[in-house]
Amino acid sequence: MSGDQPSAGGEDGGDPPAIRADDLTKRYGRFLAVDGVSFSVADGETVGLFGPNGAGKSTTLRMLAGLVRPTAGTVHFGGVERSLGDPDATSGVGVVTHDAMLYDDLTARENLRFHARLHGVDGVDARVEAVLDDVGLADRGSRRPATFSHGLRKRLSLARALLHDPEVLLLDEPYSGLDQRGVADLGRILDGVDDRTVLLSTHDLDLGLERCSRALVLDRGRVQADLQTESTSSSEFEAAYRRAIGLDAERDDQSTGDHSTALDQR
Amino acid sequence: MTGYLTAVYLVVRKDLRLEARTKQVTTTAAVFALLVVLAFAFGFVKTLADPQVVGRGALWVAFVFAGTLGVTEAAGVEAEHAALDGLLLAPVDRSAVYVGKVLSTTAFVLVVDLVTLAAIGVFLGYELALAAVPALVGVLALAAFGFSAVGVVVSTLTFRSSLGELALPVLLVPLVVPVLLAGVELTAALATGAPTGTWLRVLGSYAGILFLGGLATFEYAVEE
Repeated sequence: MSGDQPSAGGEDGGDPPAIRADDLTKRYGRFLAVDGVSFSVADGETVGLFGPNGAGKSTTLRMLAGLVRPTAGTVHFGGVERSLGDPDATSGVGVVTHDAMLYDDLTARENLRFHARLHGVDGVDARVEAVLDDVGLADRGSRRPATFSHGLRKRLSLARALLHDPEVLLLDEPYSGLDQRGVADLGRILDGVDDRTVLLSTHDLDLGLERCSRALVLDRGRVQADLQTESTSSSEFEAAYRRAIGLDAERDDQSTGDHSTALDQR
Repeated sequence: MTGYLTAVYLVVRKDLRLEARTKQVTTTAAVFALLVVLAFAFGFVKTLADPQVVGRGALWVAFVFAGTLGVTEAAGVEAEHAALDGLLLAPVDRSAVYVGKVLSTTAFVLVVDLVTLAAIGVFLGYELALAAVPALVGVLALAAFGFSAVGVVVSTLTFRSSLGELALPVLLVPLVVPVLLAGVELTAALATGAPTGTWLRVLGSYAGILFLGGLATFEYAVEE
């Protein structure tokens, strides 16, 4: 496992990184959700955003996706700065969030056709059938998402994100709420798109470690560690993760605190 | 990238298809409008109030209530499963999404207005010269457009913020008072044959201002 410091990346004069976030900050009133997050993701790399609930993972991904305006900082895709509301900003990006972003009263196929047309996809019908097949929903295209299980909805959501053949995929907690079979199915689908740049958030260390070659650990709105995870064991990664979010330090503090109290009582 | 007008068309077509399938917006709002008209009918049944005056009042009160319900439902469709995020992720100008939503909501509100117009004729004895009906439908369409122009922004804002749906009428109704005022005056003028020019200009101008304001602010309303 390499160093625990956030790396800027992509500044060696070579090809620009597929994703670069510089000093991304989001403040909601007094609450600082994301505090100056900087990182880059190389072309074709799969990077995990790890962290406990409230660490700022989803907000960071939503800023990258253009769904949330950063209070400060910039986002570059392929070296080009993208601003929120710019129609070109997300043309090469596919996004999956907690919500399916689909209409319950349109069929799966109608939903995908609508989004394909909005994205200006050529050969809409053929492309829709292809992605339905890719995610294993070819025989369910005429059904409405309202009748789908959580796992099927997630697959349809991924199909929507893949319609325009994006170079970059932003996946926010893709495994949440899935049973083991759902996780395996989603894993197989993601195996089929591993030539793309993927940034996924998760708080499941094992699943994330399995999928990602690098891990960014977020906590309290900041990148606490940037870890190379290839050939890293689950226990090594968990230990590094716990150090990064200060879990071990808290435990030590609590032990020290208890001891002091005991001494004081004496 | 999808063209601007294509994006508007796709949003309108999607909304009309959803509504044709569920009839959620028009049915809910039309039933509510009918209840308002019935309330007026019961309330004024034993009075000597002029049906023309009562009918006008019922028409525009129902317009506000049913219109508010209409824009709430229209925004609710986009709020469910964060469908609006899906539109915002598409490489289209966000104002095209706004224009599409305004046009489809205008159509829904207008349908409800026409049901209300028929209801006040039946239940309140409201009468209008046949020649004046197209003009009144035009007034209702323009009013529905102005109402929807601001309604789409305000309903989106309330759904995407912590304000909640209950804040919608409180924010929306004060903004559409000039639409209502012009609508009531134009309805009276059409019934009596009085000149309509001034109030028509007021309604048209204000609806235009609301639309331009919506175009300028929708981008911020969709922000979290």
